[in-house]
Amino acid sequence: MPKKLILLNAFFKKEFILFRRYLINSLGGMITLYVIFLLLIGGYRGFNALSGVAGDTVESLVVGYVIWLFMLVTYQDVAYTLRTEAQEGTLEQLYMSVHGLGWVMSSKVIAGFFVNLILIAVMLTAALLTTGISLNVDLLSLTPVVVGTLLGSVGIGFAIGGVTLVLKRIDSYTQMVQFLLIALVAVPAQRVAWMRLLPCSYGASLISRIMVGGQNIMELGLSNVAVMYLIGVGHLALGYGVYKACERKAMRAGMLGHY
Amino acid sequence: MIHVQSLEKTYAGRKGEPPVKAVDGISFSVPEGELLGLLGPNGAGKTTTVKMLCGLIRPDSGQIFINGKDMTRRRIPALAELSAVLEGNRNIYWRLTAKENLEFFAALKGHSSAKVRLEIDQFLERFNLADKANVEARKLSRGMQQKLAIAVALVSHSKVLLLDEPTLGLDVQASYEIRQLLKEIVRDQGKTVILTTHDMNVVQDTCERVIIVNEGRIVTDDSVHNLLDLFKVKVYRIAVQGELSPEQREAFTSMEEVVVEEESSERTVMSVRLEDAQMLYTILGILGSDNSVIESIDQEQNNLERVFLEIVEGRVQSA
Repeated sequence: MPKKLILLNAFFKKEFILFRRYLINSLGGMITLYVIFLLLIGGYRGFNALSGVAGDTVESLVVGYVIWLFMLVTYQDVAYTLRTEAQEGTLEQLYMSVHGLGWVMSSKVIAGFFVNLILIAVMLTAALLTTGISLNVDLLSLTPVVVGTLLGSVGIGFAIGGVTLVLKRIDSYTQMVQFLLIALVAVPAQRVAWMRLLPCSYGASLISRIMVGGQNIMELGLSNVAVMYLIGVGHLALGYGVYKACERKAMRAGMLGHY
Repeated sequence: MIHVQSLEKTYAGRKGEPPVKAVDGISFSVPEGELLGLLGPNGAGKTTTVKMLCGLIRPDSGQIFINGKDMTRRRIPALAELSAVLEGNRNIYWRLTAKENLEFFAALKGHSSAKVRLEIDQFLERFNLADKANVEARKLSRGMQQKLAIAVALVSHSKVLLLDEPTLGLDVQASYEIRQLLKEIVRDQGKTVILTTHDMNVVQDTCERVIIVNEGRIVTDDSVHNLLDLFKVKVYRIAVQGELSPEQREAFTSMEEVVVEEESSERTVMSVRLEDAQMLYTILGILGSDNSVIESIDQEQNNLERVFLEIVEGRVQSA
């Protein structure tokens, strides 16, 4: 097996072991997401005026919530991993890997994504069955668009993780990012062209067109998907660049593993 | 083999404070299969040096070669040659079992669990952790966690091992076990090991050679045997009956080599560090001038702790 896959496999194994070993905690997370979802839908139906997502339907709200969840867990997988590994004393070991930190973090994100996918899929299925809402879940179209969308949140995760390495205890600020992510999902990127340049926003609007509008990837237009990927890769590169600059500063100051 | 040449590192000072020179032109080599002790008081530059060897801190200048691989220029190939335990029992995942930790960290160094499965069982056996293989690390004793951290570093197949305070906070039994393991690692596997510690017993018991650093510079680089020998022949304790006379006290006060350790109406004990044989006659002459009765002259039982203190405090320079 190639060395890169050995590490990816190890992260998959670790994530699933911890998911299974701390199942009650994992289920607790899922139940919390489900309850928030019900409150959101209940609130929407109660006031029947607030949606905040690209569109004015309850389906748009559901899709926005799911996209936000994916963005949040992906962002946290990078930013919080760097912080907790530094706290626990294992970050320096990850740095001494022969794979380079870029691939170490990518493996962690990919493995974490699949574990979170299980949680979110179960929660979403339960929520849709409870509320009677139906969405178009065209996996062939959704998979590439979701992956492209999440590149932006990985980039944000790297940037915030890097800043945390240098400034250390900035939890109250990093927690604010989750609200920023809501704004990024909610902006009308489909209508206002410049907003497509924001991280994840264009991808979120394309996902909405698939799940709510019933379109497939061909109907979205491959050029639009390509533009979305270009923006995503740009944000990823920018975030990684910020991270590398912070990493260099932390290594010069000798505080890489401190927290 | 580790080769370090003219390593320098200065940290920027905190607001308004001057920069701190942590490492100031350190050079040394460690041949394959040697266990080297790196000693120094707090803030001497030991941890900075070890972290630069691991590629975790960027040196301002100088070169580091790990088995011929240049750590300062091509970090990844050099990292394949070494592993380190820098934070003791914090270097492992506490929520994974002993076996899962070994598998994960082997993968981090590029080895599949299938490839190292047999080896992992051997490590668990050798480190007396076989019956704890499936126990989460957080439930192990501190000594076991520390042993696991060392096993994790070894499972990577690296030829060079760096250990920062491997026995810190351990009880006597656990510290003894770790020391035996370190000796085995060097003897049976030919690993090159550098360890930093404040525990002189660990160095005296396990290391062939010791480097003492102070204020970022190497002040001593010698074999433990030589250092102990060097000091052994020079330090004596002289006990005399009764107190010293004012003249004797004045004479000894002017001699740096003589330290009056205890003085009472019944007995006075002096520690004498002899620079040359003539000094002994001078001291005996001073004592004889007031007819002091010498009870005993003993060669002081020497240990590395004393050697360390003498060198770091600048009282004596090694050969």
